[in-house]
Amino acid sequence: MKGSFRQSMAWLHTWSGLIVGWVLFAIFVTGTASYYRPDITRWMRPELTRAEPMDAPALGAAAERAVAYLQEHAPQARSWFIALPQPDKPVLDLFWRTRPGEPPRQAMLDPRTGAEAAVRGTRGGDFLYRFHFELHMPPLWGRWIVGICAMIMLVALISGIVTHKRIFADFFTFRRDKAPRRSWLDAHNVTGVLALPFHLMITYTGIMTLALMYMPWGVTTAYRGDNQAFFAEAGLVTTPRPPANRPAALTPVGPIVERALATMPETLERLSVVNPGDANATVVAVFEEPHGLSHQHPQIAFDGVSGETLEILGGGLKPAAKTFTVMTGLHEAHFAGTALRLLFFLCGLMGCAMVATGIVLWSLARLPKANERAFFGLRLVQALNIGSIAGLPAAVAVFFLANRLLPADLAGRAEWEIDAFFGAWIVAALVPLVRPQRRAWCEGLAAVSLLCLAVVAADILTIPGHPLRLTGGGDPLFAWFDAAMLLLAGLFALAARKVLRYEAPRKESQRERSARPEPAASPVSPTRAPVRQTEPTHA
Amino acid sequence: MTPSILAANLGLSFAALAALCLSLNRHHAEVFDRKAERAAVLRLRAFGWAAIAASLVVAGIGEGWAFGPVQWIGALTGAALGLVLLLSYRPRYVAPAALVALGVAAVPLSLAALAVSP
Amino acid sequence: MASPARITPAERASVAGRIVLAAGGGYGVAALATAFLSLVLPLARAEAVAAATLLSFAVMAGIVVLVFALRTLLRATVAVAGLAGLLGLGLWLAMRGLAP
Repeated sequence: MKGSFRQSMAWLHTWSGLIVGWVLFAIFVTGTASYYRPDITRWMRPELTRAEPMDAPALGAAAERAVAYLQEHAPQARSWFIALPQPDKPVLDLFWRTRPGEPPRQAMLDPRTGAEAAVRGTRGGDFLYRFHFELHMPPLWGRWIVGICAMIMLVALISGIVTHKRIFADFFTFRRDKAPRRSWLDAHNVTGVLALPFHLMITYTGIMTLALMYMPWGVTTAYRGDNQAFFAEAGLVTTPRPPANRPAALTPVGPIVERALATMPETLERLSVVNPGDANATVVAVFEEPHGLSHQHPQIAFDGVSGETLEILGGGLKPAAKTFTVMTGLHEAHFAGTALRLLFFLCGLMGCAMVATGIVLWSLARLPKANERAFFGLRLVQALNIGSIAGLPAAVAVFFLANRLLPADLAGRAEWEIDAFFGAWIVAALVPLVRPQRRAWCEGLAAVSLLCLAVVAADILTIPGHPLRLTGGGDPLFAWFDAAMLLLAGLFALAARKVLRYEAPRKESQRERSARPEPAASPVSPTRAPVRQTEPTHA
Repeated sequence: MTPSILAANLGLSFAALAALCLSLNRHHAEVFDRKAERAAVLRLRAFGWAAIAASLVVAGIGEGWAFGPVQWIGALTGAALGLVLLLSYRPRYVAPAALVALGVAAVPLSLAALAVSP
Repeated sequence: MASPARITPAERASVAGRIVLAAGGGYGVAALATAFLSLVLPLARAEAVAAATLLSFAVMAGIVVLVFALRTLLRATVAVAGLAGLLGLGLWLAMRGLAP
């Protein structure tokens, strides 16, 4: 590579950032939203109201009802997953896969009657969460694409650090009133550098959550490719038991639930029933993670026929396995309480801003001179920038809006919500192609703002139990969600106003010619000539 | 306990970063309209790094040495973001805000110290 | 600044070569290192695999930076090939040692 190490790193940073920028932006936005995945899901299922925690016999009885339902509706399934009712989500959430390759099936039951619960069909926050690492593609494809993007992100971070000449001198520098490119570059540097520990952590731990898929070769050589054997030996899952291929009746799960609850202090989260109806059936009780950084659910395995305890897993991991679970835990931040979660969320937003400013910078650095036409690649990049930076938030808002406005009993309702999400995104990405670029920015940002307001309006109008409609009652979740939406609406409105008021983008050559005198008080007013040299090397 | 520890971390981080920021000539001039004296620079830097270290100790003791470092870095990031925005929009408020932040940090810390001492 | 100034076909080819080398060579070296370390790290088997996998992508990132940092494409190719050769040889020996 010609030139110095730093120049080649600048080149690497520019182009690696551009080719994955839009996907990275989508990954960052949906990932940041996923810090509030349970809250989003709860907001999207307003029929479910918080309930008192159930005692052990009631939980046991609920689990029995789940098994009865599954024995009727999924007798052939190789495993059943039963999420037990929690105060925040007082339903039995069932999930099963009949055979590999078939899409999984799901049902939600009322834990007190065993009848299907009256809940609107929605994927809730799980849609954003899965989009974060599967992009709503076939899982294998989506995960590989996200993994490659994450790897390129890691390279872009490292090359960005090398490229940044004055990381400490410019640590606090954000010159919002200088030339547009300078302000954008400062914004890119500030959001990148201030949250650098977060960015490095989230990128590496993100790759690590799927590392055995991306880098299976250790398991290939040491375990002949048997992932389950590795997980079991590392103490991450209970030892798998192959089916005996002899039928046997499943033992009642009620007593199993009660024994599990008596063994572990943590909340019982779910049961997995592996090979139900087989003589080697196994029931695994999975608990919530104990308070700690590591993402590791205590588990107890029971024999599904005799009901005896087979294995208890609760901590005691060796250092490397523990590091693995801590990385996953750090990535998901389940451990974070309200305030710390807010900080993680803020760091996520800074990640979104870093990626967004980065891709905008690429196009700013290539603005045509006064007498030139924008080349096609530049126009495409500009349109894609608007389509992702304004388009994705608009699509998320439409997703929320669809949740409130679609009829509750619509067939295939959950898919309709997702169709609305993608429909809105496609429209938002296509419109900027035929609009002048600055107008398109302004319209896109204003549209997001209006959509966020519409979500709030729809929420208040369609939810009878909304705290604003009941004086002194109602679930505060709705008020918090709407407040966040209002905040976002305000931010996007502010951004739209800034774009509107912005002076037409001045070309470099014009600015050089009409070098206006800087106010004398300004401590750092670089004269025009050296600006081009001191302007940092990336962008 | 946790919110007060986080408040202490945020306050210490903000004061520390403000001190480090004011030890840089460019920002010192933005805030005070003059260059920083050599001795002042050294004092600001010493205070800044000491407060960052103190924040880590507070987080470690208050939250344990697993969560502590996570919260320490989180608080530093949050405080830095606030500082940069303040510096950009209202540079004159940086020094008073740093003093307020130090006061905010002092309240839970002195309460904790009182609770520990007999 | 990635100036859009004259870029010769030779430079283009060199850049393309580096991208291929960084992606393929980086992943290859990381994969070999993971497989090799999983077998030879003096830890319990599961621990060795976990530790090797934890390190794998740091290795890959290092190789990518190395490929773009070295002065000529030839040097970068030699470096990556040398590393891959060493690791491959080590892996071969380790696997022979494993299977009697």
